[in-house]
Amino acid sequence: MDEKRETEIIREVLAGNPGAFEELVRRYQGPVYSLMLRSLGNADDAADLAQEAFARAYTRLETFKFGKRFFPWLYSVSMNVLRDRVRAMGRDFHVYMETDALPAQAENAVDEREAVETRLDGEKAFEVVLRLAPKYREALILRFRYDFTMREIARTLGVSVSGAKMRVGRGLDMVREEFGRNE
Amino acid sequence: MKNIHQKKLSDETIAQRIRSASESRPPADFVSRVMDGLEPKKLSFWTRVRLWLTEPRSMTFTPVRLIPVVATVAVLLVVGISQFDMLYMPDNGNHPVRFVFRSDAVPASNVAVIGSFNNWQATGAMMQYDRSAGAWVLEMPLPPGNHEYMFLIDGEKFVEDPYAPLGRDDGFGNRNSIIIVDGAYEQAL
Repeated sequence: MDEKRETEIIREVLAGNPGAFEELVRRYQGPVYSLMLRSLGNADDAADLAQEAFARAYTRLETFKFGKRFFPWLYSVSMNVLRDRVRAMGRDFHVYMETDALPAQAENAVDEREAVETRLDGEKAFEVVLRLAPKYREALILRFRYDFTMREIARTLGVSVSGAKMRVGRGLDMVREEFGRNE
Repeated sequence: MKNIHQKKLSDETIAQRIRSASESRPPADFVSRVMDGLEPKKLSFWTRVRLWLTEPRSMTFTPVRLIPVVATVAVLLVVGISQFDMLYMPDNGNHPVRFVFRSDAVPASNVAVIGSFNNWQATGAMMQYDRSAGAWVLEMPLPPGNHEYMFLIDGEKFVEDPYAPLGRDDGFGNRNSIIIVDGAYEQAL
């Protein structure tokens, strides 16, 4: 979906037609749901929080600036919803971003042999990315999966542009190190 | 040279894997769950004005109609350029402004003021810690008008000025503070 079409939809929604919002929900439900699932590790919680993210985006749609890309804006709103949930769980969001591993890992734990094979298999690089701390994981996914600019990554993650570059670079290094350890 | 080439190749491989990995699918009824909770928007007057002003319009010109338009634009440009020169001449009426950030609530090892007046860059905008005041302080000359700004803590955390009289959503879920420079106002310690 191009920016022009997205702008048309947003204008239509703001003019009083909430049904037009459905096209945006359909287009971006996957990335927003995936963000929540990566972060919470539970499908039901992820769906609830993704729904909350779209509801908040709808509520705050007046603050969207025409001429910008909608998806980075939606992703920022979703990150704020996630931040609020992490805080409501009594945890510090910055600590969470620095240190947490994927919660789903515990539920879907693989045995040691399978884990080694996974590390050796280049096709499984994305699984290594998912095991990184969220600050690196999200930077890599925003950059390479969703083609965010460094400025968009910085705004989305609440860091400086140089901080965003550092996270992408360090994230790549960490993935490489994980594979190199078994070569 | 070989190592550099291998590193680049490896980056591309990782990027490709991230790009091509399958995405988790939300529940089948997800879209209807979202849409069921939405109510039609009731717009404020200003939002209606903004929509009207930003609405795309197509216009056609004939040469006869274009002449007065070109003449008007030329006059406005001449006037605008002369005003611009007056504004940015030395001692052009800039006013000293003191930014103050109290660090008791947010621990910081360095603080910068970034805003619309410095292209949101921290370079040259680092604050000094005033031990007696218990606050980070920076004075800088600013032209008259409204300026948006935030404090950048330790190079990575954006914080709104809690003492700013005005603020505005930045469109990314945060709020920028606004300072009004008219010669009569500055932040106070």
